[in-house]
Amino acid sequence: MCTPAQLQVITRPGTEETQTVAGALKRSVSRRDLLVGSLAFSVAPALSHFSAHADAIMAFTEIAPGIFVHQGRFELQSPLNRGDMSNTSFVVGTDAVAVIDTLCSAKLGSELRAAIRAVTDKPVRYVINSHMHPDHVFGNVAFKNDDNVEFIGHHKLARGLSARADTYLAANKMMLGDDAFAGTEIVLPTRGVDDKVTIDLGGRQLTLEAQSVAHTDNDLIVSDSATGTLFLGDLLFSGHIPTLDGSLRGWLSLIDKLEHYKPTRVVPGHGPHAMQLPEAVGDEKRYWSTVATDVRRMIKEGKTMSEATKIAGQSERDHWKLFDQYHVRNVTAAFAELEWE
Amino acid sequence: MTEQLRKRMARSAVIALAAGLGLAMTGGARADEDVWPSLQRDVFDSRPMTENEGIIQIDAPERAEDAAVVPITVRLSPSFKEPVKSMTLVIDKNPAPVAATFTFGPAAGTVGGERRMSTRVRVDSYSYVHAVVETADGKLHVAKKFVKASGGCSAPAPKDADAETAELGKTLVKSYAPAVDTTPLREGQIMIKHPNRSGMQIDMESRGYIPARFVKDIEVKSGDDLVFRAETGISIASNPNFRFTYANAGDKPLTVTAVDSDETKFSGQSAKEPVSQ
Repeated sequence: MCTPAQLQVITRPGTEETQTVAGALKRSVSRRDLLVGSLAFSVAPALSHFSAHADAIMAFTEIAPGIFVHQGRFELQSPLNRGDMSNTSFVVGTDAVAVIDTLCSAKLGSELRAAIRAVTDKPVRYVINSHMHPDHVFGNVAFKNDDNVEFIGHHKLARGLSARADTYLAANKMMLGDDAFAGTEIVLPTRGVDDKVTIDLGGRQLTLEAQSVAHTDNDLIVSDSATGTLFLGDLLFSGHIPTLDGSLRGWLSLIDKLEHYKPTRVVPGHGPHAMQLPEAVGDEKRYWSTVATDVRRMIKEGKTMSEATKIAGQSERDHWKLFDQYHVRNVTAAFAELEWE
Repeated sequence: MTEQLRKRMARSAVIALAAGLGLAMTGGARADEDVWPSLQRDVFDSRPMTENEGIIQIDAPERAEDAAVVPITVRLSPSFKEPVKSMTLVIDKNPAPVAATFTFGPAAGTVGGERRMSTRVRVDSYSYVHAVVETADGKLHVAKKFVKASGGCSAPAPKDADAETAELGKTLVKSYAPAVDTTPLREGQIMIKHPNRSGMQIDMESRGYIPARFVKDIEVKSGDDLVFRAETGISIASNPNFRFTYANAGDKPLTVTAVDSDETKFSGQSAKEPVSQ
């Protein structure tokens, strides 16, 4: 069975704690009322038993006025977590809503859409993908039938995702299982960002900037004019080990630039709802610098890729979740890139 | 089907796909099925092979983190002193199982240490990797190793698609200085920037396969002497990379010439000064 989409979690800005609110779609509770903390808090205790089924709830935190972020788990996709393992956000303007990343299945995409509907009746006009990876794109299909909706990504996203479509679909189906994966299909961007695009949600503009090769070759950074919030997608990992599918050198030079940015806050692709620069990129910078230094040294010493996967960056082990799942792959990619220097 | 055609098919999925036989070749390879006997017949004419003699060792990750770049090293024990004529690397369950056949020349080196060949391959599904070594007396020796990985052949190769095209054919050749000048064997390495497209990668926009384009022949020489010639296929990972031992005959230049399936030629030569280790 589908997860009950009527369970939503919404908090007020400035509160750390996320409150569970059920009955979002109950007639007695207007959608708008759910934004009111006192009501949410008063409803929550009566339904606290639902919190035991945390995997069945899509929780959102309003990190700044009109900006809602859901934090994914630091896990691999599985039937149990149903693929709820990356962050997704939506931004509400006076005219329209923009979604940034759509999680990794049709079902989670639908729950995301239901969560938006619980907050606002404004139409979803823009579905933005921060990059091509399945956990940020596969829920697009849930918005396919929205009126006048545009799917927007880096101009290289369609090519990258197309080339990987079969592999991604098969792998995610295998990891999620048939039930959690049901209905998932790939919806490519209908509009590509070559350099910079600004969209107007009413009362606020989002600026979408295409980046050079870093996490992937199709990373996009989104900034909100109203609150100074920067959505970094998977250019920022925190807690969850970063993964490399683009260029290590490119990513490190982008991090150097990010350190000089002064947004009000940044939203990672995997990590807490919101963070501050430059601290936010500190761990990630240290990780990639360590991997680069170790791999370069081993290449210079004539060591092989296999040897490097056993040694390079091992000092980082205790700093990250999912280290064993991704680190060797990261070193393999780093080695294959840096051996050409 | 002629033996000749069988061998060619084993090497090239392009032919298999073009003939609509892609599934016939891969579809037979169920997870629990042993395809080695049929490969022995098709690729090695059912010639007898000896196994588990302790002379060949295959190093490969038990579980490959990236199925499109699986590092494999084949080692010949230092106590094994026979001259080697050829070595064939087979990924049993790949659509084109024969990854490479190396034919060794006089500069490959024989006695005096461990002989090695390292490369990176694609692994399409959980499979045994076999290394078949033919000694100068015509005998075949074999070793195997199981590798858990999947999707390596259809995985899109380049992470940075534009750079890959811009740098196609860039060739690096390294000769590593031996630890001791008088050691009989030293190491060399060749690297060719090439997507080595498998023909199994799908372009969703055109709804078709991206045509195969792969490095098919490689010749490596030390001075004027042949180290090895390799026939390679789509089971070799993108940016073909070979690291190998060869006879230490002073700092002669190591050269490589290669040609891909589009008949484009690539070449490179090692720097005057060997890479110190």
